[in-house]
Amino acid sequence: MNRTLKVAGAVERVIIRTGEAVAWLTFFMAVVTCLVALLRYGLALGWIWLQETITWMHAAVFLLAAGYTLARDEHVRVDIFYREMSPKRQAVVNLSGCALFLLPLSAGLLLGSLEYVQTSWLIQESSREAGGLIYPFPSLLKTLLPVTGGIMALQAMVICVRSVAELLGVPAAAAPRRKPDRPSEQTPGSMPGGGV
Amino acid sequence: MYWPAFALFACVVLLLLAGFPVAFTLGGTALLFALGGALAGVFDVSFLGTMPNRLFGIMSNETLVAVPLFVFMGVTLERAQIAEDLLDALSRMFGGLRGGLGIAVVVVGMLLAASTGIVGATVITMGLLALPTMLKRGYDPAVATGVISASGTLGQIIPPSIVLVLLGDVLSSAYQEAQLAQGVFAPRTVSVGDLFMGALLPGLMLVALYAAWMLVLAVFRPASVPARVVAGEEAPPSSGGSAATGEWFAAKVLRPAARLGRLLAALAPPLVLIAAVLGSIILGLATPTEAAGVGAVGAMLLAALRRKLSLARIREVARSTARVSSMVFLILIGASVFSLVFRGYGGDEVVRDFLMSLPGGVFGAVVLVMLVMFLLGFVLDFIEITFVVVPIVGPVLLSMSLDPVWLGVMIAINLQTSFLTPPFGFALFYLRGVAPPEVPTTAIYRGVAPFIAIQLLALALLALWPEIATWLPAALYGG
Repeated sequence: MNRTLKVAGAVERVIIRTGEAVAWLTFFMAVVTCLVALLRYGLALGWIWLQETITWMHAAVFLLAAGYTLARDEHVRVDIFYREMSPKRQAVVNLSGCALFLLPLSAGLLLGSLEYVQTSWLIQESSREAGGLIYPFPSLLKTLLPVTGGIMALQAMVICVRSVAELLGVPAAAAPRRKPDRPSEQTPGSMPGGGV
Repeated sequence: MYWPAFALFACVVLLLLAGFPVAFTLGGTALLFALGGALAGVFDVSFLGTMPNRLFGIMSNETLVAVPLFVFMGVTLERAQIAEDLLDALSRMFGGLRGGLGIAVVVVGMLLAASTGIVGATVITMGLLALPTMLKRGYDPAVATGVISASGTLGQIIPPSIVLVLLGDVLSSAYQEAQLAQGVFAPRTVSVGDLFMGALLPGLMLVALYAAWMLVLAVFRPASVPARVVAGEEAPPSSGGSAATGEWFAAKVLRPAARLGRLLAALAPPLVLIAAVLGSIILGLATPTEAAGVGAVGAMLLAALRRKLSLARIREVARSTARVSSMVFLILIGASVFSLVFRGYGGDEVVRDFLMSLPGGVFGAVVLVMLVMFLLGFVLDFIEITFVVVPIVGPVLLSMSLDPVWLGVMIAINLQTSFLTPPFGFALFYLRGVAPPEVPTTAIYRGVAPFIAIQLLALALLALWPEIATWLPAALYGG
């Protein structure tokens, strides 16, 4: 079990690194969007492909960061009952959720989109807009669908391993952990300026 | 065979309560129903074959790019701690009045709503900063927690708001669908920008109603909203001499000037940004997505001016944005699997027939839909309701020749209210998390009650005078 947990941990680290890497794209999205707006209204310049890169960065972010978000347990839950549960109960929820919902969905996404992606590569698809991104970029973007399916399936298996370990009572095998990184949630400050 | 569609809906709501992430529960349950139906020979699996193309539609949707950009802007401003300065400056300004601190909270809530727009962060920040001061000053805990929770949720309704971006996108396809079904082949459109403009006056109306409630309390229950006793201003002026003149000068000129300076310093950054973002949308210079990009870069510049910007902080903001964005869009994906299967079983037709056959006509249909959304709001988040319920009921309601902007604003206020309704209102959870333990949870519940009443009043006003929502977009864009 410990060995399996270690492998799971390693897989999860790769998924988290991937998510953290693509997260930078949000910064570039902001900069490029701002640039596009300024160029258009300032200099009446515009390129469709540049605009399309924004949408595509966006798609890459939410797809490739999905596993990372899952690893950080930030896919929103209706947690009225969940947060009151014991770690073992939570493990049961996560294990059955992964087995019944997440793994079939990921498998469906991975397998169901293969043909769709294959067609795109075969016809050497370019953007429908004149002046948009050309082959191979649209096909690359579509390829993100099965890739996301794969990443989600892997992260689902990581969660399954952790949940089984929790149920078996293996130490240090908690359900998905959530590290708060908002300073405002961690440090209760006092009103600046004291006696306002 | 349509009953499986409703079994699916009931199953999803029940299974969601188990606490597995919403996106996967939505999609997974629907997938199981589709596969089960296929095995039983009552569901056509080829329906699912359109899924990759639908997903690609979500991936290449330009309107929705505004979501991560607005999140980026909001998180950047949150980390730059503009909320702290705003609260400090405004409570200095209003603190001397009875009910003044409450009004300061409402105004800060409004400004944060128009800049960061993040409900959780706003409620938490105000709960940490304003609540202790209000309690120390002798505010009734119910009043203090109520006004903080309600003001925190303003981010949902005051543009730019992520709810309005999502709703705008869903409503615009619902509007097209409704018109196509009626044989209008050159359909009119409704955009996110229209919805932003439509929500502006109703949002400000809520702000005014909240502030008015504070004034009502100040007059009729003054003990619940006491004024600050200002040391120094209370003391009688000392007699004679240039020392007294100096003191007078300090008290009457220097200090107010310093206070005004601090107020302007705190107000200027969010106001400039709000003006730039909303202004460029109002003037038609930029689409909401472009305005969001400008806002995100502007927020970084402001943070840099305040020496709160570093590579590490941008990295944090980027990661946080990526997670929020992924969370939202995976729910959208899960919900689109759900609606596909729901429609596959003919659920949408049954909903249509039912809503059309209601005795009250359009009025009855709207009231029922609003009620259902309100009730679902007890357990579901605004994102799920927007993606699951609106695509089903939207085309039906809009085909009854309702104004899409008006409907969108009604839905947005309704969803905002669901943040406040005990026991599961999210704003209440956030506030409970940071409120001192001596504030009982029942006080929080009691405190939001008048604000829920204000929300219902706002919905009623909007139903009576739809122009509150429809006038501004019509005046700006010529309707």
